[in-house]
Amino acid sequence: MSARPPKIMNYILLLPGLLVIAFFLVIPLLLTVVISFMQEFSFTNPIFTVENYIEFFTSPQTPTILANTFGMSLLASLVALLVGYPAAYFMAFRIKSIKTRNLIISLLLVPFLIDWNVRTIAWIPILGESGIVNYLLQYFNIVHQPVSLLFSRWTLIIIWLQSNLLFMIFPIYLALSRIDPDVINAARVLKSPPHRVFYEIIFKLSLPGVIVGLTFVFVNTLGDYITPSLWAGGIQVLGLSVANFAANFVWPYAATQSTVLILISLAVLVILFKIVDIKKLVE
Amino acid sequence: MKIPDFLVKTYIAIIILIIYLPLVFVVLLSFKSGANISFPIERFTLDWYLKPPTGYEYAAYVSLFYDRQFFAALRNSFTVSIVVALMAMVLVTTTALAFRRRMAGRNFLFYLFLLGFLTPGVTVGLGVNFLFRLLNLPFSFWSAALINVIYVVPFGLILMMARFDPNLLFYEQAAAVLKAPPLMIFRRITLPLIIYEVISAAILGFLLSWGEVIRTQFAMKGIGTLSTFINTQLGVNPLTPKWYAAGTLISAVSFLGFLVFAYLLTKTVRQQA
Amino acid sequence: MAKVVEARKLAKRYKGAVEALREVSFEVDENEFFIIMGPSGCGKSTLLRIIAGILDYDSGELYIKGENMKNVPPHRRDVSMMLENFALFPHMTVYENIAFGLRMLGKDKDEIDREVRKMTRLLHIEGLEDRMPNEISGGQRQRVALARALIIRPSVLLLDEPLSHVDYQLQRKFAEMLKEVHREIGGVFMLTTHDQEHGLSLADRMLIMNSGLVEQIGTPTQIYNDPQTLFAARFVGELNTFAGTVEEVSPDAVWVKTEFGTFKARHPAAENARDLVGRRVAYIVRPEHVRVAREDSGQDNRLSVYFNTYYYFGHFLELVFSADAQTRVKSVISANEPFTAKVGEQLTLTWPYTKATIVSKPSVVEGVDIEELIYGK
Ligand SMILES: Nc1ncnc2c1ncn2[C@@H]1O[C@H](COP(=O)(O)OP(=O)(O)OP(=O)(O)O)[C@@H](O)[C@H]1O
Ligand SMILES: [Mg+2]
Repeated sequence: MSARPPKIMNYILLLPGLLVIAFFLVIPLLLTVVISFMQEFSFTNPIFTVENYIEFFTSPQTPTILANTFGMSLLASLVALLVGYPAAYFMAFRIKSIKTRNLIISLLLVPFLIDWNVRTIAWIPILGESGIVNYLLQYFNIVHQPVSLLFSRWTLIIIWLQSNLLFMIFPIYLALSRIDPDVINAARVLKSPPHRVFYEIIFKLSLPGVIVGLTFVFVNTLGDYITPSLWAGGIQVLGLSVANFAANFVWPYAATQSTVLILISLAVLVILFKIVDIKKLVE
Repeated sequence: MKIPDFLVKTYIAIIILIIYLPLVFVVLLSFKSGANISFPIERFTLDWYLKPPTGYEYAAYVSLFYDRQFFAALRNSFTVSIVVALMAMVLVTTTALAFRRRMAGRNFLFYLFLLGFLTPGVTVGLGVNFLFRLLNLPFSFWSAALINVIYVVPFGLILMMARFDPNLLFYEQAAAVLKAPPLMIFRRITLPLIIYEVISAAILGFLLSWGEVIRTQFAMKGIGTLSTFINTQLGVNPLTPKWYAAGTLISAVSFLGFLVFAYLLTKTVRQQA
Repeated sequence: MAKVVEARKLAKRYKGAVEALREVSFEVDENEFFIIMGPSGCGKSTLLRIIAGILDYDSGELYIKGENMKNVPPHRRDVSMMLENFALFPHMTVYENIAFGLRMLGKDKDEIDREVRKMTRLLHIEGLEDRMPNEISGGQRQRVALARALIIRPSVLLLDEPLSHVDYQLQRKFAEMLKEVHREIGGVFMLTTHDQEHGLSLADRMLIMNSGLVEQIGTPTQIYNDPQTLFAARFVGELNTFAGTVEEVSPDAVWVKTEFGTFKARHPAAENARDLVGRRVAYIVRPEHVRVAREDSGQDNRLSVYFNTYYYFGHFLELVFSADAQTRVKSVISANEPFTAKVGEQLTLTWPYTKATIVSKPSVVEGVDIEELIYGK
């Protein structure tokens, strides 16, 4: 008789997780899609329509909202890549001590764990009109009036960078640290000057990490409307619009916008899963 | 050609600095006297934490320890996060154990679990809201906890799967050959070998739900957790150092939890071959 | 004429670790197949990496075609290398792997295509071009790695343990292929191995390394027949060794008193006769020269032994005898030669003195005791 526990056991182990996922993720999302096609949120007398989508795509605000949503998340991902890649590279190739590497990774985790409100208000004493930067600028007579640093798009990018850098650095670091040093040596011996060694070998082999990093930061920032909204009158993004319509009980329209947001994230994820096997980075 | 060592160190140091500097300011401001958020700080005080109220005051000016709502929210926060921790511990463990074996649809299921983290919180929140309204279910800390759990599980899964002892299955099979029943195997072999990972998953669950706003906001009514409470307050009240005091306390809990988590990551039961 | 590779007192110490190279000097001629042999950890890879330029040395000098290599980066050296674990680029197809060097040199597509095809034909790996490195077998990987290193036609091709990591059959096949490729393409091949058989059979000349030092440099026959240290002698083949003291020296022979009697040996080429008398030396004779005496055949050396056991290798037979409780003596004879003996039977072994010799140095490494090397600790 085989000592292996029967396959059934495996599915039993999966059951609790799947139930929670079904009830709190899959069904809610499907329900959202259904409601996005309804006139009213009412299943007793449902009327199906595509009005909501027509309204969304013809609304004069939509292009701005979509551009903001896409643009800011894309910008945040790219900035995170630019800042994170050198850090990941240094960690994999220049910092020899595993302890130091782990320490840096751990330190990057903290801002992600910090409360969303705190993350945001933390920048006011730094970048606000009476914040430390303006104080110093005036102290050294660089400017004479406080400058508004706070309610700019770059502030949003910096805050997102602060809490998301880990998701960029970690996958790239993982990919880089798995490169066999002799593969790099082989390229050097085969007539490759340093910049081409970097591009042909190191960068290309780290691409799965780069793609995972870009996607994680993109998707993670896509749904965050708290940070943009806390900059009063800040930047209109799709998530914020969903929340606003939901707060005013305009359910079907909120559902429509939510569906668009889901589709955008799913599209990005499908592309990701097509290009790289995330599980390889885990196992 | 080669980037000098000091530049490497400086770069890493600047990144860490940019990440931590704002948090330092949060703590500093919570001790600032005066209601405005401005520099320089002339006098430090504990007023924002424990000065008794003098009469009718705006919520934003009542010191933290005399704010009843703050304590109600704090209690909610602990309740939700502890429930999330326990649920995450069980779900991450069972799911990770199941994923060790080949089975039909393994990849699909793995990605499905990942979606819990990769789907924007606002869409999940709205969807859960729909479902609860449709079924006429009440919102409570249970719903708040469950909506956070699906966000936490993928992190825990990745953590656990990456750290599993590759020989774990062999040990279990060895025990099975010796006729140990499945539950006994789990209790005597599996659990002791993955105990640090199991506890880590719980702490991660606590930490991730502790500071979460969007999901919780959609799945909890009333005063909510600390994070949702503060979020609402910031929308209607002036920004005073009181909120920095609250932020300092919330962050202190996060940081303590993080220290325990980081410590656990350095531990492993696995024997060195 | 300048040597192609010239190393003078190269030394290398890894950070906080052992001295991987203590002092290594040698020269390699045009078109030589030069083999570096030594036990694991003696510094073979370190040496090749230094020649390739992917590792810096601490002191000494290295010249390639007369040019000092100090601070010359690897891509500017007329050298190519096949690394220890092949190190194929995991994100490139077999074709892209092989073509890599030429692409880096800026060759045009047609030329690259032509050269790659030539290489795949030469090394019998046609048809694999579109596979990824993890989709081909170990033996194929080995040949792809060789093709990739060879295609840039370097003056010096470095091969670090190219024969390991595949099974025995493939090793032999690949060794033969290497020799043919060398004959066809020419240039210097420098190959490391710890397998004496591959070393002896492939080398024009070989260097025996031990703990970062050179034990001996020479042709395979020189090292096999006239070893300068006991270590070198041991490393290139099986050996019967007796510790003893030199009693008497003639112009062509020496007599060594051992605990099994006095044995006569050929005078070692490199040693000065007068210095030898009274010295502790190792008396050595290779098993293929040791025979069981039929009758008194008038040989110079005779040793009374008990038959112990034998090993059959198909084309030869290895006989093991005991001279006393600790000392084993081996004889290798053709499997066709008739041999019958009972275990424990007393026999006499003989060998001609011209086939035996002595070495007085255990090793170039200081502090190695000759008795210890013979009898073990
Ligand atoms: N990167 C390194 N750091 C520290 N010590 C090293 C390093 N690489 C090699 N060594 C040490 O240097 C010595 C020589 O190593 P080397 O790899 O040159 O030996 P080798 O002769 O190639 O051995 P093998 O036959 O096992 O490949 C060994 O003692 C080894 O442990
Ligand atoms: Mg080696």
